[in-house]
Amino acid sequence: MLQQVFTASIELLINKVLALNTEKIDLKKLEQKTLSIFLSELKFPISLTINANKILVSGLTENVDCTVKTSIKTLQVLKAEQQLTELIKQNKLDLTGDIKVAQQFMQLAESLNIDWQSELASHIGDVPTHKLMQLGKRVAGKLQFASKQIKADASEYLVHEQRLVVTRSELEAFNQQVSQVSKHVDNISTRLDALTKGYSNT
Amino acid sequence: MVAGVFHSVAKQYDVMNDLMSFGIHRLWKRFTIDASGVRPGNSVLDLAGGTGDLTAKFSQLVGKDGKVVLADINSSMLNVGRDKLRDKGLVQNIKYVQANAQYLPFEDNTFDIVTIAFGLRNVTDQDMALRSIYRVLKPGGRLLILEFSKPEHELLNKAYDFYSFNILPKMGELVAKDGDSYQYLAESIRMHPNQETLKSMMDNAGFEQTSFKNLTGGVVALHKGYKF
Repeated sequence: MLQQVFTASIELLINKVLALNTEKIDLKKLEQKTLSIFLSELKFPISLTINANKILVSGLTENVDCTVKTSIKTLQVLKAEQQLTELIKQNKLDLTGDIKVAQQFMQLAESLNIDWQSELASHIGDVPTHKLMQLGKRVAGKLQFASKQIKADASEYLVHEQRLVVTRSELEAFNQQVSQVSKHVDNISTRLDALTKGYSNT
Repeated sequence: MVAGVFHSVAKQYDVMNDLMSFGIHRLWKRFTIDASGVRPGNSVLDLAGGTGDLTAKFSQLVGKDGKVVLADINSSMLNVGRDKLRDKGLVQNIKYVQANAQYLPFEDNTFDIVTIAFGLRNVTDQDMALRSIYRVLKPGGRLLILEFSKPEHELLNKAYDFYSFNILPKMGELVAKDGDSYQYLAESIRMHPNQETLKSMMDNAGFEQTSFKNLTGGVVALHKGYKF
């Protein structure tokens, strides 16, 4: 029943986020439309159905308007509705059904605008909110820096310490050698053809 | 006696369900909705639907072109259900019918889906109820029975027995001021057919492709069958 725990939590979260939006969102265009998302990381689908300005999240997959198969990584990259067709061309996203439904759900996600600071301030006060936001920014910055550092260190370790991966210059040298061998082979092949022709003429 | 129990517990039914199952009953019901294959425009009968948990979700999923009938033999439960659903703003596609599952007052081949959640064990003649449900289902329609059943493991069974007979009636006394009704609940669960027996009963009533899925270690089971 992990699926049900997940869909129940997502439903609560999504509708809470919709309620917090600075402007009231009208979901009439998507009334009774269902978008079903299959993520490669999950064993079950997540279906979003619009009803009376609320989003219902379930595992229903029959008679859906649009089905999207992708991965969490691709979803993170998907920031604008225009990217949908691009990602389909790159085979990172598979879409069956009405593309308009997927585009309208994308528009809905893009139109979300929540004033988190005001919302938090209404619960804990202005000064604590301000301090928390500053702390959050500092932590996010440090995490970003640490992530870059780890990536760079890991790359150095794999290339120079463990020698599991070749450097760019080594790869280019290898490619050059392959090109030279290929040229020599072509030359020999041409000479052989000429010799064979000469022999057959005599 | 059963009628008396449900007249008595109706007002605290939802609170007690949350307390007794630690909220898990909501997940069991979600599982049932996911297994139903419900679509916009469908007709659904939520039998012994009580306070309308499943009806609320079905109403939203079938949309304005579909319909949901909340049927229950007990008027108190039906009234609580109606008030709750109306408070949620769910009025458009729901009908309320006081009905006995053994003698359903609907035409043949009326519904795409019939669900009965935690109600079948209270029906006197379950075989008769299953035949009645079969009659009102459309060809291609499906029946979903969500009900307490026999736990898969002996240790869980013992823990469950202890909980049902010792903790539940005390909770009933404290919260609903009615320990006897919750004693009945525990006893009725023990009298209910186990998973395989209920599956056979569905087969005998004419259902095909019958199956069941154990939830929470078999404490609850969801049975499903089709009318072809």
